Amino acid sequence: MPPAEPLIVICNPGDRRSEGIQLARSRLGMPPALLIPYAGLLQGQPLADLLEQAMQQHLDELPGQRQAMQQQLPQLAQVQADGLREQAGTMQQRNGQPGLTELAAQGRDSNWRSGPAAPAPDTIPPLLRLESPGGSFEIERALIALGAPDAPDADDSLHPYGSQPDLRPLSFKAAGVLKDMPGVLHHPSQWFRGYCRLLARIQREAGQLLPAARWTNDPGEIAAMTDKRRTQQILAAAGVPVPRPLRGSSGQAPVDYGSLRELMLSQRMHRIFIKLASGSAASGVIAYQLNPATGAEVAVTTIGVENYITRPPVYYNSGKLRRYTDPALLAGIINWLYRHGAYAEQWIPKPGGSGQSFDIRQLVVAGRACHAVARVSTTPITNLHLRSRRMTPAEAGLTEEMQAQVRQTAEQSLAAFPRSSVAGIDVLVGSTGRTYTADVNPFGDLLYDVEYHGCSIYEWEMKQLPWRNLAL
Amino acid sequence: MTVVKLSIDYDAFEEGKRIETEIEQLSNSPEAAAVSSLTIGDWGQAYENSPEDAIQALVKHSASFPALRRLFIGEMGYEECEISWITQTDLSPLLPAYPELQSLTVQGGTNLRLSQLQHDKLEELIIITGGLGKNVLADIAAANLPNLQKLELYLGVDNYGFDGGLEDLYPLIEPGKFPKLTYLGLKNSEIQDEIAAALADAPILDQLETLDLSLGTLSDTGAEALLASPRIKGLKLLNLSRHYMSDGLIERWKKSGLPVDVSDQQKTDDDDDWRYPSITE
Repeated sequence: MPPAEPLIVICNPGDRRSEGIQLARSRLGMPPALLIPYAGLLQGQPLADLLEQAMQQHLDELPGQRQAMQQQLPQLAQVQADGLREQAGTMQQRNGQPGLTELAAQGRDSNWRSGPAAPAPDTIPPLLRLESPGGSFEIERALIALGAPDAPDADDSLHPYGSQPDLRPLSFKAAGVLKDMPGVLHHPSQWFRGYCRLLARIQREAGQLLPAARWTNDPGEIAAMTDKRRTQQILAAAGVPVPRPLRGSSGQAPVDYGSLRELMLSQRMHRIFIKLASGSAASGVIAYQLNPATGAEVAVTTIGVENYITRPPVYYNSGKLRRYTDPALLAGIINWLYRHGAYAEQWIPKPGGSGQSFDIRQLVVAGRACHAVARVSTTPITNLHLRSRRMTPAEAGLTEEMQAQVRQTAEQSLAAFPRSSVAGIDVLVGSTGRTYTADVNPFGDLLYDVEYHGCSIYEWEMKQLPWRNLAL
Repeated sequence: MTVVKLSIDYDAFEEGKRIETEIEQLSNSPEAAAVSSLTIGDWGQAYENSPEDAIQALVKHSASFPALRRLFIGEMGYEECEISWITQTDLSPLLPAYPELQSLTVQGGTNLRLSQLQHDKLEELIIITGGLGKNVLADIAAANLPNLQKLELYLGVDNYGFDGGLEDLYPLIEPGKFPKLTYLGLKNSEIQDEIAAALADAPILDQLETLDLSLGTLSDTGAEALLASPRIKGLKLLNLSRHYMSDGLIERWKKSGLPVDVSDQQKTDDDDDWRYPSITE
């Protein structure tokens, strides 16, 4: 095996994702990834400092890997920013290891940036990988604060709709004291703005620090995948089949409950999915139907509501699907969703017998479809959080031919994001055998106990994602 | 023996495809004469359109389907249409057109009627709804079905159209009404306890092999009445699955040695609700 390029992962160290990556690397005989904590970045520490800390930690914790790390370290040497060299020099004095100053010099001498030819083995530039920022309320709160109008770093360049202000934003200070209420959707649009700002900052700092590094998924594309409105535009423009968006004859999208119902009737699209634009994990998803004959409506959703007399309602992710038919309640929920950005599309009936339906979560790595899981549910919302059953696509009843079509649709979907190499694509199979992409999840690779050619997801990714296979 | 299902999905309907055309094409095909079981699925946005045209086409072309024995009108899942929103119509014209029919299944209760329910050979009538109107119950009570062996009614809830009560069910369980009946299902009901209590001592139990009270709100109240009745001892199956009985009562059923299905116990409390964070996949 040629020397592996160093991997730098921006994540919440200790979570299942980072642990899974380290386990896979250890099994494959690769040196561990350097883990950069989101928490540190959100506390204002520069990426350079955190990277140094991560390197130091590895040397301290894994003395047995000292030699391997020493071989790795030169490959991290792409430092340009002058200010960073001083810090790096300090590190050299501390531990007697080659510091970033020397490494930077080596990096500058490499021919990597001069063209697409393979770099010399000792100057392989590192891979940079962003992981899901989820799973920690402190991170969520810090991102909502970062999305505040008065936040210190307000680079909205990666936000697909960054110029549209968020409704009733929380100030930096107010966001910082939000209380942890499990499942509560605190301020999804401001969270997304904060996340886009963090992505922009990481991209900026990484570009200065490690200009030759490559991203497994480009930060800007992660932002686009996380906004379902933008995702569907990109997919449609690339010719990927997607469920038809709910739009008026002149292209206008709904903006609230009233315009949504009007458009459903005028477009004769009586069954739709409404999705929170920046939601994931079935957060803020409604399967909504409007009966054109009677005006009745039925919504099945994960959204729970707590109503109060003296303050606005609190919306939360319920693990138990709820069914609403009360127009006043539904108007409240749908208007709230649209204030935070929402996307509505045709409800493609999912296949499945005996009251069950399914879709396929198809992982694509480096351009090729690999691990796949059918998510089987007795409800219209199939996400695994809702205790859907997992099956292989074959067990769910898909023929070889249909599985191939699912894989092709998924590959085509990721190809629409040319600077990204890993995504979990949610593919719907319509009753007539057509396939549609419903979602592109930049962190959609956390699938347990699924193997492809004998590899777990992370083992497969580590083998498939050397720099030369990246979608660049 | 040929089994056929015809269905028009949303897009096909929008593109102008129609169920009556599909039926006509089938009737003109060489396989028509062998069709023994025909299922009409979604006839195109069934929350808005009734199967009127499908029924007319089936009546018009009945001569092309001499082998037809089983007919299902409205087989669709919630992915296609909410059961309680399926628009039905009066299906009676089908019966004289298919004198050899043995089994009729209907799904959807909105606007459903069976106004002239007469058939010499029909053995099985199944009506699946979220709420069955008492006018349909009256249609069945007035029926003449001398060969009926299985009657299975999903009664549902008043929100979705069940506007009847016990008084509308009594005429259906009079001895002699359906002399050959061996399977009675009065199920999926929000008054399942009342139904259980009313049936516990009903003479019709003496002719039944299966009593199906599943899928409803049956609790200990209705179950106690059944347990106390000597008439249930002759049943080959008492189906009480998906119920709200207590653990204690389930235990008593098990000890009774009776052929009873008490699976799929439902919990009445709300402890099962949990919340989950958004950004986890």
